[in-house]
Amino acid sequence: MDFACMGVDAIQAGLRAGDFSATEVAQSSLDRIERIDGSVNAFLEVTPELALAKAAEVDKAIAEGTFDQMGPLAGVPVAFKDNMNQIGTHTTCASRMLENYVSPYTATCVQKVIDAGGLPLGKLNMDEFAFGSTTETSAFGTTKNPWGTDRVPGGSSGGSAAAVAAGLATVTLGSDTGGSIRQPASFCGVVGVKPTYGAVSRYGVVAFGSSLDQVGPFARNVRDAALTLNALCGRDPLDCTSQACDFDFTANLDQGVEGMKVGIVPAFLDAEGLDREVRNAVMGAADKLASLGAEIVEIELPNAQAAISAYYVLAPCEAFSNLSRFDSVRYGYCDPGHKDLGGQYEASRAQGFGVEARRRIMLGSYLLSSGVYDKYYYPAQQIRTLITQDYLNAYQKVDVILSPIAPSVAWKFGAVSDPTSMYLADMFTISINIAGNGGMNLPVGLGEDSGMPVGVQLIAPPFKDANMLRAAAALEREYQCVGVAPDFAGEAAVKGGE
Amino acid sequence: MTQHVSEKDVRAIAEYARIGLTDEELPAMTEDLNAIIESLKPITEYDLEGVEPTFHPVGDLSNVMREDVEGTSFTQEEALSNAPKQQDGSFLIPSILGGGEA
Repeated sequence: MDFACMGVDAIQAGLRAGDFSATEVAQSSLDRIERIDGSVNAFLEVTPELALAKAAEVDKAIAEGTFDQMGPLAGVPVAFKDNMNQIGTHTTCASRMLENYVSPYTATCVQKVIDAGGLPLGKLNMDEFAFGSTTETSAFGTTKNPWGTDRVPGGSSGGSAAAVAAGLATVTLGSDTGGSIRQPASFCGVVGVKPTYGAVSRYGVVAFGSSLDQVGPFARNVRDAALTLNALCGRDPLDCTSQACDFDFTANLDQGVEGMKVGIVPAFLDAEGLDREVRNAVMGAADKLASLGAEIVEIELPNAQAAISAYYVLAPCEAFSNLSRFDSVRYGYCDPGHKDLGGQYEASRAQGFGVEARRRIMLGSYLLSSGVYDKYYYPAQQIRTLITQDYLNAYQKVDVILSPIAPSVAWKFGAVSDPTSMYLADMFTISINIAGNGGMNLPVGLGEDSGMPVGVQLIAPPFKDANMLRAAAALEREYQCVGVAPDFAGEAAVKGGE
Repeated sequence: MTQHVSEKDVRAIAEYARIGLTDEELPAMTEDLNAIIESLKPITEYDLEGVEPTFHPVGDLSNVMREDVEGTSFTQEEALSNAPKQQDGSFLIPSILGGGEA
């Protein structure tokens, strides 16, 4: 059987009933990666020893009758974006800079998923240092979309989304600075949640934009994502931005949306460049929510457009600062043979970083320079206040907001992107990071023109992520589950029948 | 298009960011940066008089300090485990002032 194609509840029910062992779950998942990942390239490193060792622990717990104390992800095949440290694994950020880096410690989010019983299969491809939205800037080859391997998987957490969509893992982790969980989840037809800023510790996750970055799960259904959030969220003494959280994210998934107020933003739906099938998907989801008893309320986010330019100031500035740590001395690529330290720095950073990383570092360096700072960086932080206020105003009227994620479905490799469309591409996701809200993708079926997965975004007030999960769970029951991509599910079905 | 940065500026930016830039790369990088900076123009056109900046997305939270007690940390060996060059338990770097051995 291909266990990684199953959901958390099904795997755990089988383990409890003794239908199969955790070792079988791990081994079948590893075999499936070996067999299939050549055509997806979601994994940068596979960790059979770690997966099998954890599986043995789970099997011991089953034998001893302590399985139910193991945690919400006991026996579940999981994998991590390659910007997350996991002791003994390479953590490359898909960059030549860290090609040979071996983590001497483990990120809190990774540790929590393993402590919750997850079987760690390996590390997942991404845009280099998370700079991109297609996974094409990876130094180790792009990931392909399991729904059509001639299409991009989205990014930057493209490997995390594709692994779940191809049935190579049941749950994965990604990180989201401007949409890097939600957009690839949308492109690959899986659930992807960016929780509220501060909900999940970033300790041990290689920083990109520290005031924007947040870690979250990918899964094939809302409940699996909620179970993972239960394991992930909470205060970590090692990340001073993390906040206490003792909420059970699965608690109100079955509650329905009766009486819930759902905001829609007419300006988003009328935006130029928004594909018809995406617009229809959002309108269709609004209709379904209304039919389930939710009240649809039109709201305004007047400064959403400004979020884009604010982001493109703030993100490179923070990246410039964060990436200054790669100094060719303590870790990372070191260009050999230099007789002076300055020369070693410059050559190592020029050769270790890809062109997009260099461009962003240079831009941040410029924007923070004396005299320029007041022109861009300071206003960007003022705009942040306006955007946050827009959302707070909206939350006076609604419990959750429904919007598009990306203006289109996943596009084909090499397709020349319309600049307006690219500009718009980030508009629906970025302002959520700027304001620190939670946001998530829910797949709502296939586009009537493209046949590719279409998703809708649900957005919740800070630390009320449960609101969006509740609405998503209600919607999910209305749509046929998108699940594993057909080209890969077919194989799962065949193998499952053997 | 407005010239925000010259090739000379870009050379200085690269030096400050410690990123080597060849003479061949300079024109393209200058062009790219000018295009990106031009695209940020909207941010200079908003009326932001009297608007307070937000430097942190969750504004009403305060910093959290831990107890001042000794915790675990890396051993020297662990800290050096990824060092490209090391010697006698230390990171090894070329001469800072020049003239040293590589």
